[in-house]
Amino acid sequence: MSGAHLFRGAAFGIFVLFGVIAVATSVLCVRTVDKQLTSEYEENGAQIAQALASSSEDVLVNRDLSTMQALIDQYMSIRAIKYIYLVDEKGEILVHTFVPEVPAAIRASDMTRTAIVRRDLANVGAVLEVGAPILGGLAGSVHLGMDSSLIGLKIKAAVGQQVYLISVIFILSIMLSALLLRRAARPLKVLEQYIVSLHATASGGAQPSEARFEALHNRRDEIGALARAVRALANDKPSSGRG
Amino acid sequence: MVMWTLLVFVVPQQAYANPDAIRLGMSAPFTGTSRNIGSELYRGAEAYFDFINSTGGINGRPIELIAYDDQYEPELAIKNTLRLLHQDQVFTLFNYVGTAVMSRVLPLLEKFKDEKAYLFFPFSGAQPLRSPPYDQLTFNLRASYREETAGLVNHLVDTGHRRIAVLYQGDAYGRDGWVGIRSALAARGAKLVGEATYRRNSHFTDSFVPQVAILERSTPDAIICIAAYAPAAGFIRDARREKFKGPIANVSFAGFDNIISLLQAAEKEDGRDYTTGLINSTVVSDYADERIPAIREYRQLMQQYAQKKPHAPLETDYKGPAFGSISLEGFLNAKLLVTILRRMGKDPVRADIHRVVSGIENLELGIGAPVTFRGSNQGQHSVYYKTYQDGITPISDWARWQR
Repeated sequence: MSGAHLFRGAAFGIFVLFGVIAVATSVLCVRTVDKQLTSEYEENGAQIAQALASSSEDVLVNRDLSTMQALIDQYMSIRAIKYIYLVDEKGEILVHTFVPEVPAAIRASDMTRTAIVRRDLANVGAVLEVGAPILGGLAGSVHLGMDSSLIGLKIKAAVGQQVYLISVIFILSIMLSALLLRRAARPLKVLEQYIVSLHATASGGAQPSEARFEALHNRRDEIGALARAVRALANDKPSSGRG
Repeated sequence: MVMWTLLVFVVPQQAYANPDAIRLGMSAPFTGTSRNIGSELYRGAEAYFDFINSTGGINGRPIELIAYDDQYEPELAIKNTLRLLHQDQVFTLFNYVGTAVMSRVLPLLEKFKDEKAYLFFPFSGAQPLRSPPYDQLTFNLRASYREETAGLVNHLVDTGHRRIAVLYQGDAYGRDGWVGIRSALAARGAKLVGEATYRRNSHFTDSFVPQVAILERSTPDAIICIAAYAPAAGFIRDARREKFKGPIANVSFAGFDNIISLLQAAEKEDGRDYTTGLINSTVVSDYADERIPAIREYRQLMQQYAQKKPHAPLETDYKGPAFGSISLEGFLNAKLLVTILRRMGKDPVRADIHRVVSGIENLELGIGAPVTFRGSNQGQHSVYYKTYQDGITPISDWARWQR
């Protein structure tokens, strides 16, 4: 009997099991992280937009648009923010951070609305746009484009870590299984050799080695029981052979 | 005694040329794509200060101009300002460059309000420098961008260019110019027909074809740029390559000499004409016009003092032109500041600055237009226009630009 045959079957079973676990947990992870990060993004974006809208009130009323531009430019150092624009109450853009121009999709939209919008813009990428009214909408509104690709990157990172962990556990399981099955197969091999040598003795060959078999015979587990059964059969065999 | 010796020789000391000097602090781009602006402004001012120092200084005290490079980046300018005020303990700030930088430095000056840390003659025509609350912390000699853009729009509209588009820097400087053009057009019953932006610190070698394509969609008669010289020249090159034939105008910040210099180099390489049909508004009169007393003095002192080897903060490979609009502006800024410091007596104190400057009325600086600060923090309102026609020349007759 070969340990490799037993191992192949076990390894396939482990592989299938881990595959199912990896796929199931990855799907769950993607859904959970996407949901959490999107909600976190919306919340953070709304808070930044609200803070910007509040600080814009004084600047818009008492200062000028170049000061307003300098103010929104500072927010552009936040990695997640792809763009900011501010419109007046009629929806006309007063300041923005786009280069080389305001995307047509934004110009074509109703810029007075502050609802959350998902956009996929040329030269900008996928964004989650959040808005906040300034002075309750009387002085216009401020809009922030939050980089959605960062959510994708974070999901990839989370799934990657999970797959990495599962892969490590999978490899360790395979190695442990191989070790255990090898240990389990070793006495079976001794038994096999003992039975083969018994058969050879019956055909006039040399006596089987009793020393290694004796160790199995004294075991108190299934292998010991099997060894004892083999011994009993062996003890019966000469008489039946002779009869 | 040992301790005293250690303190004197081991503890780093700020090395000032003269502890009795009146120290002035400057933050400007001396490296990067806008280095010519900071370097020329510095050279012009330094030529006049060198002259003053060689003739005994101000009431016996020399002037020391401490200048740091900010690469035209606001964060560096803030650091430089803190260093100048805290470490160098300058008497006043002077000759700063750029609206984007100013927009961040002004709130910092507000923090130093009680210490009367004023900023003299920044190289920017932006509105925040001329409006509350910062009009109490700064003094401007030059005309504003609103005045420059209004002048450009009016001349262009008067010569039949009603469809005006704008290329502007994507920051506070660009926005200030954009607002000025929009307001001036509104006053003439017109609107901007197109607009495109570029990133601050773009290079001449960058492609501006996307911006040209965006503006050409609106079929403009003329384009006004609110740009630094390198991107302005890059845009003009690409616009002419793309067959835009209308006038392209720039404001004073761009520095016409720098634009022409870059375009002439490109003309040699490409064998094309990039320098026809350009207009530039400036806030100083023609630096070649020796009939004007201050220009005569400027040319004489630049030859005498500004031809030395470049030294810090200038880059060692920097070679500025003999004369130019920006060095002239630096020179005039220095001349006016010296006049103000002289009026403050032997031991000037910051607390007197506002009173002394506000008292200036119809001061003759030798530029043909009197300087007045009474009731305003801006001393001059003159705007001049130049073009390139066998050399940089003032525009005296707009009929040539009739469409």
